[in-house]
Amino acid sequence: MRMKETLSLLLAAGMSLSLAACGTAQVESSSASEPAASEAEPAQTAEQAAPAAEGAGEGTVYPVTLTDQAGREVTIESEPETLVSGYYISTSLLIALDLDEKLVGIEAKADTRPICQLSAPALLELPSVGTAKEFDLEGCAALEPDLVILPLKLQDAADSLEELGITALVVNPEDQELLNEAATLIGTATNTQARAGELLAFAQTQQARLGEVLAGVETPSVYLAGNSDFLSTAGDAMYQSDMIRMAGGVNAAAEITDTYWAEASYEQVLAWDPEYIILASDASYTVDDVLGDPNLAGCAAVESGNVYQIPGNAEAWDSPVPGGILGAVWLSGVLHPEECPEADTMAVIDEFYQTFYGFTYSEIG
Amino acid sequence: MGLPTVKSDKTGLFCAAGAALLAALAAFSLFTGKYPLTLEGLLSGDAMQLRVFWTLRVSRTLVGAAGGFALGAAGFVYQTVFRNPLASPDVIGVSSGASAGAAAGILFLSGAGAVTAASFAGALAAVALALGLSALDRSGRHSTIVLAGIAVHALAQTALMCLKLTADPERELASIEYWIMGSLNGISGYSIGGNLALCTACVVVLFLLHRQLLLLSAEEGEARMLGVSVGRLRLAVLLAATLAVSCVVSLSGLISFVGLLAPHGARLLTRRNGPGTMLLGGLLGGILLTGADILARSVAATELPVSIFTSLLGAPFLIFLVIKGRKAV
Repeated sequence: MRMKETLSLLLAAGMSLSLAACGTAQVESSSASEPAASEAEPAQTAEQAAPAAEGAGEGTVYPVTLTDQAGREVTIESEPETLVSGYYISTSLLIALDLDEKLVGIEAKADTRPICQLSAPALLELPSVGTAKEFDLEGCAALEPDLVILPLKLQDAADSLEELGITALVVNPEDQELLNEAATLIGTATNTQARAGELLAFAQTQQARLGEVLAGVETPSVYLAGNSDFLSTAGDAMYQSDMIRMAGGVNAAAEITDTYWAEASYEQVLAWDPEYIILASDASYTVDDVLGDPNLAGCAAVESGNVYQIPGNAEAWDSPVPGGILGAVWLSGVLHPEECPEADTMAVIDEFYQTFYGFTYSEIG
Repeated sequence: MGLPTVKSDKTGLFCAAGAALLAALAAFSLFTGKYPLTLEGLLSGDAMQLRVFWTLRVSRTLVGAAGGFALGAAGFVYQTVFRNPLASPDVIGVSSGASAGAAAGILFLSGAGAVTAASFAGALAAVALALGLSALDRSGRHSTIVLAGIAVHALAQTALMCLKLTADPERELASIEYWIMGSLNGISGYSIGGNLALCTACVVVLFLLHRQLLLLSAEEGEARMLGVSVGRLRLAVLLAATLAVSCVVSLSGLISFVGLLAPHGARLLTRRNGPGTMLLGGLLGGILLTGADILARSVAATELPVSIFTSLLGAPFLIFLVIKGRKAV
């Protein structure tokens, strides 16, 4: 009996340890899986991206072999005439690179993203190739595209397409740097490096302008509330934190080191006491919900009415879309209206969409 | 006669110890969290500290202790009614019904309390379906309820899968997954009143029915001979236990192991099956959930799902019980 008890205690302790390890791993993996992949990719694509950027305007010489953002070697025999995009960010990128007329298939639910409607409504009539959750491999193959662009989540589908003899390029635009690399990669693959260069230059110019205009200003604390609920927030390592920094603010949740949306508590938000609360563009709740939330009574941002939502009229600027820099431009106008008056902010936004998407943002309301 | 008296004394002792531990944990819980609360601040009337204390900290502690108690007591009821030490609210599909309801709430409803209401409705629908289906079998065998529960559980899981498939991965899917992992984060004094009142009423009913519950644990033939309407009584206690569980999970999301483990632990300690053991099961449930919630809110810079810790504490204990405690059940 003594033996049995000892054995059971040992088993129990072992189970506890393995579960502890398992529990930690699960928590970390849910938050770190994507960035871990992201961190692995730049080194592989940087070599490719640099010469492509330098060679902007010279045109791609086919056949060209590229290393995509999954580290796959992809050879493109000739300039692609038909394209398929399986990811909303790559679709937006292709529109910005003036390649929308070459698209023969796009991701599902494109009608829920206004950018297609505003800039290239014809895309909404194209066949859908599914989503990152449910990619339609056969449907994509049936379109017989010259080049398919897929997100990292669909790397397996890209490999399957290659086996079918269809060239597929994997992109992973998870932050601004990776988006720049993706733009350069697609620019090289499709012989639109010059246009990709213009796109990158726009973001760099705006970043430099904000740095100059906001030099020395006081930096208010900003709580960025995520899409899924008010208490999910972006820690310091996230793309959204860079947006706050560029706009002359300080991320109230900077102490959180998670690389994906993290769960905060009301107490935590009250302890941070942010001066501004900014709701993610696709938030499933409203500014009024936050202002009327009795659990936030006494919070500085709520008391002063400084609760805003990032506009999503064209695109979610708090995600790494080609127009992502506009999130920082818009937020700078909210945090520092004197240094960044609304007219200037709107002029920049209009210029971007006029140049790359062919519509005037201020006219869409 | 001497032995039972000694044992019932021990039950009282265990209950007193359990109540003291739960009270100590609850007191610790009141002063554990991300907002820096101090006794001086509270006593000096600092408005913000008082608001955080009464609105957030007290309600979270209350749901941890009372919710855990309800899960433990309800688990005891399930295990007694089904005469199966592995029975839990999942047996008749409560958890999966609540999950499907919560997912539907996240996808299609908006406004404060919508998800709580939807998950409560989902849990009730699952239970109504399971008990309704089992009522079609007039033999009154409890195995029919289990089979009906398995069918409802499968249906609810399918509904949940369909809802997840249509969910936006950035927003809704993340919310559904986080809800299923369970958390007492987000609980505040403005959202718990109705659930807590109904939950308390159900637990009181369960304790009032404790004598009849004991008869249900006997063979059905014996119970009938003692004049107990087995079918109706079973329905009543299962309904009360399930309502109590629904009240908790619709506030907190799914919470693993508490309903299974707490009554086990109580039986192992008391080696009895009476109301004292149900009380101890409830106290152990409260201890487990309050302890897990303290860890969930304090071991990392962010909030972690409470089920990680209830499982972490519960799973090894369950194995220990399976090996050591057979003789006690």
